Amino acid sequence: MKNNMKFILPILIPLIILLLPSSSFGIEGLTLVEQRVIAIFVMAALCWVLEPIPIYATSLLIIVLELLIISDQGLWFTKFESPELGELISYKVIMGTFASPIIMLFLGGFFLAIAATKYRLDINLARVLLKPFGQNPKYVMLGLMIITAVFSMFMSNTATTAMMLSILTPVLALFSQDDLGKVAFALSVPVAANIGGIGTPIGTPPNAVALKYLVDENSISFGEWMIFGVPFVILMLAIAWFFLIALFPASIKEINLNIKGRFLKTPKAITVYVTFIVTILLWLMGGLHGMNSYVVALIPVAVFSMFKIITKEDLKKISWDVLWLVSGGIALGVALDKSGLAKNAIDAIPFAGLHPLLLIAGASLLCLLMANFMSHTATANLLLPLVAALGASMHGLLPYGGEVVLILAVTFAASLGMSLPISTPPNALAFASGHVETKQMAKVGGVLGIVGLLVTYVMLFILNQMEFI
Amino acid sequence: MEKINIICVDDEREVLDSVVRDLDYLSDIINIEECESAVECLELLEELDANQEYVAVLISDHVMPGKTGVELLTEVEVDPRFLGTKKLLLTGLATQADTIKAINNAKLDNFLEKVWDPVELLQTVKELLTEYIVERGIDYDDYLEKLDAPTLYRLVK
Repeated sequence: MKNNMKFILPILIPLIILLLPSSSFGIEGLTLVEQRVIAIFVMAALCWVLEPIPIYATSLLIIVLELLIISDQGLWFTKFESPELGELISYKVIMGTFASPIIMLFLGGFFLAIAATKYRLDINLARVLLKPFGQNPKYVMLGLMIITAVFSMFMSNTATTAMMLSILTPVLALFSQDDLGKVAFALSVPVAANIGGIGTPIGTPPNAVALKYLVDENSISFGEWMIFGVPFVILMLAIAWFFLIALFPASIKEINLNIKGRFLKTPKAITVYVTFIVTILLWLMGGLHGMNSYVVALIPVAVFSMFKIITKEDLKKISWDVLWLVSGGIALGVALDKSGLAKNAIDAIPFAGLHPLLLIAGASLLCLLMANFMSHTATANLLLPLVAALGASMHGLLPYGGEVVLILAVTFAASLGMSLPISTPPNALAFASGHVETKQMAKVGGVLGIVGLLVTYVMLFILNQMEFI
Repeated sequence: MEKINIICVDDEREVLDSVVRDLDYLSDIINIEECESAVECLELLEELDANQEYVAVLISDHVMPGKTGVELLTEVEVDPRFLGTKKLLLTGLATQADTIKAINNAKLDNFLEKVWDPVELLQTVKELLTEYIVERGIDYDDYLEKLDAPTLYRLVK
């Protein structure tokens, strides 16, 4: 029965919502379309929490259901003219979420990452960058964490973790059975990958979802994001490093990471290096050349395809599931916004009485909690549209930086959920190494999550004081 | 056209010569390399990899001074850089234990006994080459006339 509930609930509860009279929601003038959006939202939430189907499938389901029941090209009976119907959404807008600029930004990031891996730029950089850290376990770990964090700013956190763990595994085998240092090393990689993802807009999908709500006067460019993202990553890495070496001191005196290989020097490899550097520079210098980060992201896509660096076969390796997962989140946001539901619902609930700081703390804590138990992206998909609507309508927030502060606090919180093996794929990979117990991961991840949230608040306070946001 | 290599390893010169002669049919679309020892082959592999060339098929004798053929093929099998390279053991002197190792550790793709039938060798290598080209996503149009058609149809569909 318990197993069946996860299938029954996501079907039953949205159906009940659809069949209720529209007056029962306590929202003045709720239209039919808005009521359907509530049903879709609840279904999405239940599907992402209970996972009866893969999380990317939930995203696709959201988009298809939106097309069927709230679009202007949907099923005939959903379009009967009536005063309560409300505003149907253009099907082009809903389908357009598949190719939204944010998705293109991520596609560009994927192309860079695939090319870097294929031409071994990642592993060779790791080899060169690790050298200066010597052989003292403490500093080798620091080096590993820094490199992991830097890579995960541009590659997926999961791919970075897998690569670094594959370098690390032979070394971990040399530790004695009861050396706690093993735990520190095995945890350092996923921790650094999760933290590193916060550093750039393409570092991790929740950041991309946030970009959808950081528009117009609130927009943040690639470079601007890094101006606060990177210092945050550095500070959190330092905290994580001190914490790990204090908690799990290594008794081994020396470790030797042996990474074989040399930089490839073929014309294709050089094209990859140049394109990589140029793309990042263009991203950072957004103001100078007039192209925004979305446009820049398509340059590597064209270059790598032209020079057969990314072949037909490589195209199949693109994580379409991640792209679709984000699309679904965007579509959910579109529906909430375009149907007018977000605004109506916020007006109906007396948030004005709530202290803005309480709201920021409450929303980010909820996000952190959810992100520990479910996909970071799904968490961001669910919470960010609500939080963005709330932030926009709450004038009390303005002295504290307005909706940007709220959105960023929640976005950062989504990446800080890392206390369990199921929290993120990097955690799961590290757990699979067999050197870490859930208890140890929970201690490190839990503390870093809370500390990270506090650091986020301080950072946002300072940014607001400097009138940066 | 991509640079695709087939490497033959045998410590006896005459054997190498005759393998190369049997595979001559393929020599206008691929590059056939000869190595007289496993060590020489590993060096060649490094060099080919640095130039990002493909190694489609590795044909090796087993009993050789220094590293044996099975050891060589096992090393190539676990090296992620040569993922998908087809491995053919061509020997008359493998014991049952060697053969078991070759299958379990080196994940052999084919086993031919000395003395071999030239037609059979060529056919086997054609099939392995076809598999490699399709699996690695190389554009097979350029190689079409020399590939094994039944294998191609089976894999492409």
